[in-house]
Amino acid sequence: MSTREGNDPIDLLQGTLDLLILQTLVFGRAHGHAIARTIGLRSDEVLRVGHGSLYPALQRLLKLKLIAAEDGISENNRKARFYRLTEKGRKALAAETSKWQRFSEAIGRILSPAPSKPR
Amino acid sequence: MQFWNSRRERLREEIRTHIEMEIEENLQSGMPPEAARQAAQIKFGNTLLAVERSREVWGALWLEYLFQDLRYALRSLCRAPGYTAVVLLTLALGLGSVATILAMTDSVLLRPVPLPHPAQLVVIYGKTAQTGTYTELTYGQIQELRRDSRVFSAVSGYATTVAPVGASDGMRIALLCMVTPDFFRVLSIQPKMGRLLDSGDAAQPVVVVSYDFWHDRLHGNPHAIGSTVKLSGAMRTVIGVLPQGLEFPIGAGAPAVFAPMSLQAKGTGLFIPGAALALARLQPGVSISQALGETRSLFNHAHDGVDGQHLAVESVTRFLTGSMQTPLLALLGGVAILLLIACSNAANLQIARATERLSEMQLRSALGASFPRLLQQLLIESLVISLAGAAVGGGLSVAAVAVIRKAYAGQFARFDEIAIHPGVFAATALLAIVAGLLASLAPAFSTRSRTLAGNRRTATPRNRVSSVLVVLQITLTSVLLVTCGLFVRTFRALQQAPLGFDPHNVTTLVLMPEDSHRSPSLQRETNTLLLHRLQALPGVEAAAMQTTIPFSNYSFSMNGTTDVGGRPFHKDDSAFYSIVSSDFVRASGIHLLRGRGFLARDDGSSDMVALVNQAFVDKYLAGRNPLGVTVRMHRDPGEKDSDIPLSRNLTIVGIVEDELQGPLGSSFEPMVYLDDLQIPTDSAFLQVFSIASEYAIRSPLPRDVLDKEIRAALEQAAPGMAEMQLQSMQEGIANSLRQRRIALRLVSSFGGMALFLAAIGIYGLFAYAVTLRRREIGIRMALGSSRTGITGLILSHAGRLLFWGLIPGIAGAWLAGHAVRSFLFGVKALDPPAVIASAALLALVAALAASVPAWRAARVDPMEVLRAE
Repeated sequence: MSTREGNDPIDLLQGTLDLLILQTLVFGRAHGHAIARTIGLRSDEVLRVGHGSLYPALQRLLKLKLIAAEDGISENNRKARFYRLTEKGRKALAAETSKWQRFSEAIGRILSPAPSKPR
Repeated sequence: MQFWNSRRERLREEIRTHIEMEIEENLQSGMPPEAARQAAQIKFGNTLLAVERSREVWGALWLEYLFQDLRYALRSLCRAPGYTAVVLLTLALGLGSVATILAMTDSVLLRPVPLPHPAQLVVIYGKTAQTGTYTELTYGQIQELRRDSRVFSAVSGYATTVAPVGASDGMRIALLCMVTPDFFRVLSIQPKMGRLLDSGDAAQPVVVVSYDFWHDRLHGNPHAIGSTVKLSGAMRTVIGVLPQGLEFPIGAGAPAVFAPMSLQAKGTGLFIPGAALALARLQPGVSISQALGETRSLFNHAHDGVDGQHLAVESVTRFLTGSMQTPLLALLGGVAILLLIACSNAANLQIARATERLSEMQLRSALGASFPRLLQQLLIESLVISLAGAAVGGGLSVAAVAVIRKAYAGQFARFDEIAIHPGVFAATALLAIVAGLLASLAPAFSTRSRTLAGNRRTATPRNRVSSVLVVLQITLTSVLLVTCGLFVRTFRALQQAPLGFDPHNVTTLVLMPEDSHRSPSLQRETNTLLLHRLQALPGVEAAAMQTTIPFSNYSFSMNGTTDVGGRPFHKDDSAFYSIVSSDFVRASGIHLLRGRGFLARDDGSSDMVALVNQAFVDKYLAGRNPLGVTVRMHRDPGEKDSDIPLSRNLTIVGIVEDELQGPLGSSFEPMVYLDDLQIPTDSAFLQVFSIASEYAIRSPLPRDVLDKEIRAALEQAAPGMAEMQLQSMQEGIANSLRQRRIALRLVSSFGGMALFLAAIGIYGLFAYAVTLRRREIGIRMALGSSRTGITGLILSHAGRLLFWGLIPGIAGAWLAGHAVRSFLFGVKALDPPAVIASAALLALVAALAASVPAWRAARVDPMEVLRAE
């Protein structure tokens, strides 16, 4: 109902979350809970407000046809909805990843002007 | 709807699964069940938000919101059935009447007549300077147009009258249209059967008949071509049947016979020869004003001295329906006012409703609904109800149009074509949308200011907007009511207009000779015989022939310049001459003021006598004894006896009261009545007057008995004469008022509707105001105000609104009266009795409408109100 825009971290990190989902699916199809767990392992920050924020991102990726959804049975014999990368998603991931890497390298350089030395 | 629901349901299911998986994991890691559930829920976060955000991603959300709002609007409207019914009815009345009049205007005035390239078809005719009525052109002028004009591609002539036409079902009246052989070529129509006239037919005994004539009189016979009809005593062969729906020349389908005429003919036509209207087709690219300009200059230069300034060139559509333009536009103005009243009513009711729903709106605003979102919902509710109103109103107008078409088809030009075309529906829907938008604006913004202000307990809320709307309603209603009063007064004045004769027990009979070439002496013989027959009928007191019978369409009188003895002749001295038989005074019931009527001994006498009316005396013989004065038709220098219709001297022997000649309310002209039997048979008078014969029969017998007797007498005494009309004088008077009665009925139904709507508006405003002011009223009463005082408070507010509404209303009514002054008789545009009566009626209705809320206000319990604080 509300059209008010919040200022929560999800908005800022939306691109990151999309990218993480796509990366998660590189190794095969997964349901929502599995995706959340995988991402949670890699970055707590992105899903800080809750696993719920995963779902709008999934809908967005579905709409962009970067992923596809299908019904399946989970490891615990539960009916669940599985997501997998589409061909378009795979290409987008490759492009995004290189872009993202360049971007985080740039950020890293700005944040630590001196070349960081391994401790 | 189903699609969205299932998609949302699937997402919810997915989220549930997600949380259950989390719970399972938590349980496996050894959490107690309740903690496992809680932890899972916390880890997932706001479920609803996840669903909402996902749905926003899906898009088309506005459409879903729209459906949501629609459903919500329908639900909340159903929950307030009283409010919904009133607003719906209000808008249905307003929009329905607008749709009806729009459909009439569109069908009659705007749609071109169903003829090929109607925009190029024009009628050319003369206009009389004083009255603006149309006159015909001479054959010579039409030929001149044909020869010299470069703006027309073709020019034809036609003249229309009614005549008895004989077919296998006997002699019956039909429309007779004399046309030049190229008439149908100018119209560019093809025959349904047979062929149309061509140049070789000018002098042939042939006719083309209209579809209606073929259908009604020839029984739709597929072999009708080659059969004969009897016209003016001669048999004529039917050579063609016109297609259905041809509206020319009277604007409606009618049993009509088209006979060829020649512009070269002299004095031997079927009726008054030598004059006709011109039907012409414009050259491509020539406008009507260009054509008018050229035709005028052509006629101004012509040597026969016709005044080109009085020439008119009009499109066929306008020519046929020009007389409908003013009434229809006036009606359109009336319904526009009605719609405005309905709209302001709807707006007011919505303001009241929005106030009732203020707490709901505040709650929704607090829960995060943005103002545009609330506005959208109010707007949709308003649009739903106004479109529903348009639908109901459209249904009403379909019914109204069907009734109007059925009742008046054939009586007014093109009324048989009246239909609601899609454009009218579209226009009505558009009006409904505009009305809905306007009506929702005021409540939306009052809601906005109050949801923003938050607390409505801070002051006594008053709504200026609704007061202004009620004042507007009162203003508009008083305009319609006063106009209505003007029409009522006009109708009364007409009913009481002096007739100059006693219409009771008078039956009028009109006959037309089947053969228009009958000799005047034969005609006179028939007349005399028939009058003897009629006078001898049991129960008949008197019978007379009259060429001018009041309220008859077949009356003829001749306007002639006149010398009055003992008075020098002025250029404009003229009188109308009418021929009557000797029993005229007794049979017609005209009042004899002085002198005597015609006597049997006058008939054979060579001293011609005359009766004149009071108007004649007033104009030419004021202050003199009129009896014995000699009158004669004026002879210009150089004119011979044979150049004027009557050369003898006439002695005035009696004065009669002014008898009405035109419709009710028309002015009286000087009249000279002549005794039929005294007029020489070679007088031009008799030729003119032999077209139709009219009789007045005075008898107290019941109608059906008398009709039977008269018809039996006709069969014996007047073979070869066709009965055109047989009706009582009272019927004639009623018929002449019919159009007025229709106008009165329409205008008063507008007035009634307006009054009804205004009553709803006033009631709504005060009911709402009392609800809002309960607290104030409670405090006033707690401080010692009496119940009468409270009632007075409400009623005086109503009185103030009435006052401020009436002032501009009366001014508006004066303007409206000015706009419709051509329909008025016996009243001025600003008529104090109509204004006072309307104001009183409106005050009464306003008082009634406000008294219920006032009574409710007086019953407010101060303790209850104050405790509720």
